[in-house]
Amino acid sequence: MIASQAVRLVSASPFHGGTSAAGKARRAFDGGTSAAGKARRSRRAVSAIPAGRVAVRRAVRASSWDLRIFGAAIAAIVFCFALALVYVSQTTALSVAGYDVQQLAAQRDELRRQNSLLEVQSARLDSPARIATDAQRLGMVRARYVPVIPAQPLIAKR
Amino acid sequence: MQTVRPRRLRLLFALFAVASLVLAGRLAYWQTFGRAELLARAQDQVRSDLVVAAHRGVIRDRNGAILATTVELRSLYALPKLIPDKDRAAAALGVLLGRDPGPIRAALDSGAEWLYVQRWLPEATANAIAALKIPGLGFQNEPKRLYPNDAIGASVLGFVNDNGVGVTGIEGYYDAQLRGTDGRLVVERDPANRDLAVGLREAVAPRNGVDLTLSIDLVAQTAAERELAAAMKKERATSGSVLVVDPTDGSIRALASAPTYDPAAVRVADPEALRDRAIAWPYEPGSTMKAVTIAAALNEKVVKPTDQYNDVGYAIVGGRRLNNALGKAYGPTTVTQILERSLNAGAAWVGQKLGAQRLSEYFSRFGFGKPTGVDLAGEVSGTVRPLAEWYPVDVGTASFGQGVSVSPLQLAMAYAAIANGGTLYRPYVVASRRDADGEHRTAPVAVSQVVTPDTAATLRGMLLGTVDEGIAHNAAIPGFSVAGKTGTAQIAGPDGSYVDDQYVSSFAGFFPADDPQYVVLVVLEKPDSKLLGTVTATDAFKGIAQDILRYARIQPDRKP
Repeated sequence: MIASQAVRLVSASPFHGGTSAAGKARRAFDGGTSAAGKARRSRRAVSAIPAGRVAVRRAVRASSWDLRIFGAAIAAIVFCFALALVYVSQTTALSVAGYDVQQLAAQRDELRRQNSLLEVQSARLDSPARIATDAQRLGMVRARYVPVIPAQPLIAKR
Repeated sequence: MQTVRPRRLRLLFALFAVASLVLAGRLAYWQTFGRAELLARAQDQVRSDLVVAAHRGVIRDRNGAILATTVELRSLYALPKLIPDKDRAAAALGVLLGRDPGPIRAALDSGAEWLYVQRWLPEATANAIAALKIPGLGFQNEPKRLYPNDAIGASVLGFVNDNGVGVTGIEGYYDAQLRGTDGRLVVERDPANRDLAVGLREAVAPRNGVDLTLSIDLVAQTAAERELAAAMKKERATSGSVLVVDPTDGSIRALASAPTYDPAAVRVADPEALRDRAIAWPYEPGSTMKAVTIAAALNEKVVKPTDQYNDVGYAIVGGRRLNNALGKAYGPTTVTQILERSLNAGAAWVGQKLGAQRLSEYFSRFGFGKPTGVDLAGEVSGTVRPLAEWYPVDVGTASFGQGVSVSPLQLAMAYAAIANGGTLYRPYVVASRRDADGEHRTAPVAVSQVVTPDTAATLRGMLLGTVDEGIAHNAAIPGFSVAGKTGTAQIAGPDGSYVDDQYVSSFAGFFPADDPQYVVLVVLEKPDSKLLGTVTATDAFKGIAQDILRYARIQPDRKP
């Protein structure tokens, strides 16, 4: 029980396990990762290393897995958070763009409306009846007879 | 120390357990069976289901001038509870709207939460009201049909009621095409009532109405309405109509009917004014029908233009005496002179030579007694009784246009057939339709060949003589050949007998006579001048013809 607590304390230490320099040094002290080294370690474990230290090492290995899982969970949470952040920011940007689109559509509709009104006004001003009325108001009178000169005699003269 | 009895604890536990079960059950219900309802309620709070109105099509004349269009105008509404000083608001609105402030104030006090103060405001008025910045007043855009030429062309255009439904004329006949199909937009909205780009969005785009280009020429239409209004005023006539038709394809260039109305103010219009008399008014045509009778006789080679009869001032047909207009006798008279002098006895003589059966057949061939098929709402067919119902005298009276009724359009198309070499066309007003698929032009439809080209040419010459040397000399235009015929007909009363001293005066003609490009018909009902009403009708014809000749740049075909 005390040993496992000690191991947990050790595992919490930054100098333990993983890819740190201390870890590398310890791996080098333990005989590296080669097959010969493994054989030596096993022989030493059987012959020279006391049972308590073996238990500590097993605990260290187990604690390394805990750390990895913990790290992976943290990473997953951070990733999900980032993803959510991206989603929210994109949705917000889309909503803002949607409001902009609406505003532009409203502007377009208003311009179209104004254009239609101008077209109607133009048609009103072009109306022959209005022109005749305005001409009358200005004192003009309709010509009773408008002579039309045939084009052929004029062309012949030329 | 006092302790709680275990029994009470159990009871309390049981109560909590039951309450938890009930809540859990309720929760389970809302999450399963009641889920849809709950979801619908939640969506209803944010969802908006809108009808996206289709844009009603534009109507233009043959040169592209706008005759009718739909524009979104601002309507003024009020939320009376939000208006701080209703008296001041009503007074200010009264000035700007040109209305008595009293009714506006009463409307604001009516207890309504929301009400229209005035719909479809002119832009200037709306801007002036907006500048007041009165709390509780707002604007809402609403589509409104506008007619830039006011009452010009009202008869042919028809109008659109407040519900956006076309009622008469082109607006009525082509209502379904002009209206288009409304779209739909289902969208979620935020508390500020703005569409959300993210979320529910179902849209069905509206299909806008088709744009129509008419065969109507605004200049010819204006001239027709002006001359008709002048003639109506001069003669104090009950009603009148003018038609200008292109005889080469049957297209209608102008159609005027009086009394008329302003399509923008239909509510105040006389109901009688809404009737398009050019197509919906059957009348006895009188002497203008003589041209049809003689065309039939010439085509059947029953008579020649030079054939003579002795005019004694009347003809006895079926035991009845049919008099000339003033009972005057002309002695030896040619068929051409029958038209030049407009002799009833002569027309009856020709009719008798032709016979009732052939006369009836030719009336049918020329399109009388059945609708022309024009693309306008409310056309009448007129009345030509079946041959079996003809009395012996009818062959005489029908020869000079009594006892049969026609619409002005039917008569104009008959004259168009004479003008174009004998082809009767189906009249039309819409020259082309433009929709999403492109432009669709109306093809002229030749109904039948009613007389041979030779007969038509002969009759054109005779009608030219009627203007140059005959009764219609008033229609002559210096520099141009004009052919035509006057018509004066008695008016039948409700009991079938003719009313004394009431007539329908008309003139039907075409120009240039050698190569007719326009047919013009003027009809006046009950002119003050009685029998001389034809003079006014002829003057109106001349006024219209002169305007068209100048506008269409038709070269003179005679020395002035």
